[in-house]
Amino acid sequence: MENNLEIVTIDTEIGTEQLTETLTETKVEDESFLNFVTIDVWTLIFTWGNLLILFLLMKKFLFKPVRKMMLDRENEVKELYDNAERSKADAAAIKADYESRLSNAKEEAEQIVKNATRSAALKSEEIIAEAHETASGIIARADKQIEAEKRNAENELKNEVSSLAVSIASKVIEKELDEKKHKELIDSFIEKMGDA
Amino acid sequence: MNNIEFYRTIVLAASAIGAGLAMIAGIGPGIGQGYAAGKGAEAVGRQPEAKGDITTTMLLGCAVAESTGIYGLVIAIILLFANPLVGMITG
Amino acid sequence: MNGPKIMFEIPIFGGIPVTETVTNTWIIMAFIVLLSIWLTHDMKKVPSGKQVIAEKLVGMLYNMVEKNMGKGYVNFFAPYIGALFTLSALGSLSSLLGMRPLTADFSTTLGWALLSFMMIQGNNIRCNGIKGWLKGFIEPVPLLLPINIIGEIANPISMSFRHFGNIAAGMVITSLLYGALASLSAVVLQWIPNTFINSIPIFQLGLPAILSIYFDLFTSFLQAYIICMLTMVFVANAGSEEAARGE
Repeated sequence: MENNLEIVTIDTEIGTEQLTETLTETKVEDESFLNFVTIDVWTLIFTWGNLLILFLLMKKFLFKPVRKMMLDRENEVKELYDNAERSKADAAAIKADYESRLSNAKEEAEQIVKNATRSAALKSEEIIAEAHETASGIIARADKQIEAEKRNAENELKNEVSSLAVSIASKVIEKELDEKKHKELIDSFIEKMGDA
Repeated sequence: MNNIEFYRTIVLAASAIGAGLAMIAGIGPGIGQGYAAGKGAEAVGRQPEAKGDITTTMLLGCAVAESTGIYGLVIAIILLFANPLVGMITG
Repeated sequence: MNGPKIMFEIPIFGGIPVTETVTNTWIIMAFIVLLSIWLTHDMKKVPSGKQVIAEKLVGMLYNMVEKNMGKGYVNFFAPYIGALFTLSALGSLSSLLGMRPLTADFSTTLGWALLSFMMIQGNNIRCNGIKGWLKGFIEPVPLLLPINIIGEIANPISMSFRHFGNIAAGMVITSLLYGALASLSAVVLQWIPNTFINSIPIFQLGLPAILSIYFDLFTSFLQAYIICMLTMVFVANAGSEEAARGE
């Protein structure tokens, strides 16, 4: 019991000694250490200065170049897209132009074919008509010729007949007949005959 | 052991007790942050796709709610390591 | 647990103390600037490798600022938020390398929060005029004037304490854990007579890494994100719709 008590008292003594030691230590260390929770004006000012310097340096070395690079790339991409868009539009325009031209050509060809067909038809009709005309002309002429020939032959025949008749008659009647008067007579007779 | 030493010892002991008491302030933020975390879990369960936003908001809220606990902690730290009361006695 | 160590003093104005925080900030700034130069050097129209990463990060940042603040703020605030976020995140993460994190110094976070505060008020004045800014304090009723003022002032205080508290708590807990693990190792290895072997803190191996994932990685990024987010939201809220659209 006594022993125990002694230990306790020794312990407390050591405790207080240590305590005083720490206190004196902090007093000594105050010269090279600041307090744990303290507002040191110089540190405060240094903090501001440091943050400002870091702000400027980071802006210069990190944010500006990176930002510039990013914006540059963005612009470039935008430009590329614009270009692509533009060339796409150009291609579309060219295609439309080509298509319209193609359809025009088709129409034209159709027109040409149609025209050619029409003119050919016209020409053939013309040729046929001409041929018809020529043929009918030839036929008419031939007819006329035939008629004329026929008439000639008839006339000849008539003349022959009349002269034959006159000669026969004169032979028969001898000089009694005035040749001219009789010829007229016979002619009229033959005419009547021919008509009959 | 002179008188001043004696009083200083008492002040230090009281400061240590005070520091311990100051840390009771930790209860408040503990409850608050637990509540916030619970609500956060609830929100994630209801809307799992917004997990990132919920977590960020919850952490921010927790950190702000922690302030009161931190005040208590600062008081405790001051009492333990930068005790102004000891200086009063020696001064 | 000490505050930041005073590395040296600049012998003007009666000696300007340069603390560990400030020198660590310089190291991290140099690292960030070198990283920026490396990321952006030899950039090509068709990105590859590191340039993709740089563009992805910058694009994300600009998108985030535009989404949260509006087009009108992007040109100034995207680089500012980027610098603040990088400095804050890497500054907190520097504890992984055994450096004292910048944000475990209240002066640093207070400085950032005060900058945000000035930006908020400045943007308010720029958009609403001094009369409009002053009028904002007595709205909706003049009775609320003290509450409005306290509300405005509480903003940077809570912002800075939040950031500082998170990182400093991580630091304190990590160092407490290291101390505890060292004593645990000492107790466990007590039976080994060799003084060298039983002074090896074997439990410090591995276990703190798990805590470090939360306190260093997660908290660093989260707090950096939060201070940036709050700055953006508050500044954008203080301004008008026209400023957000960039008119």
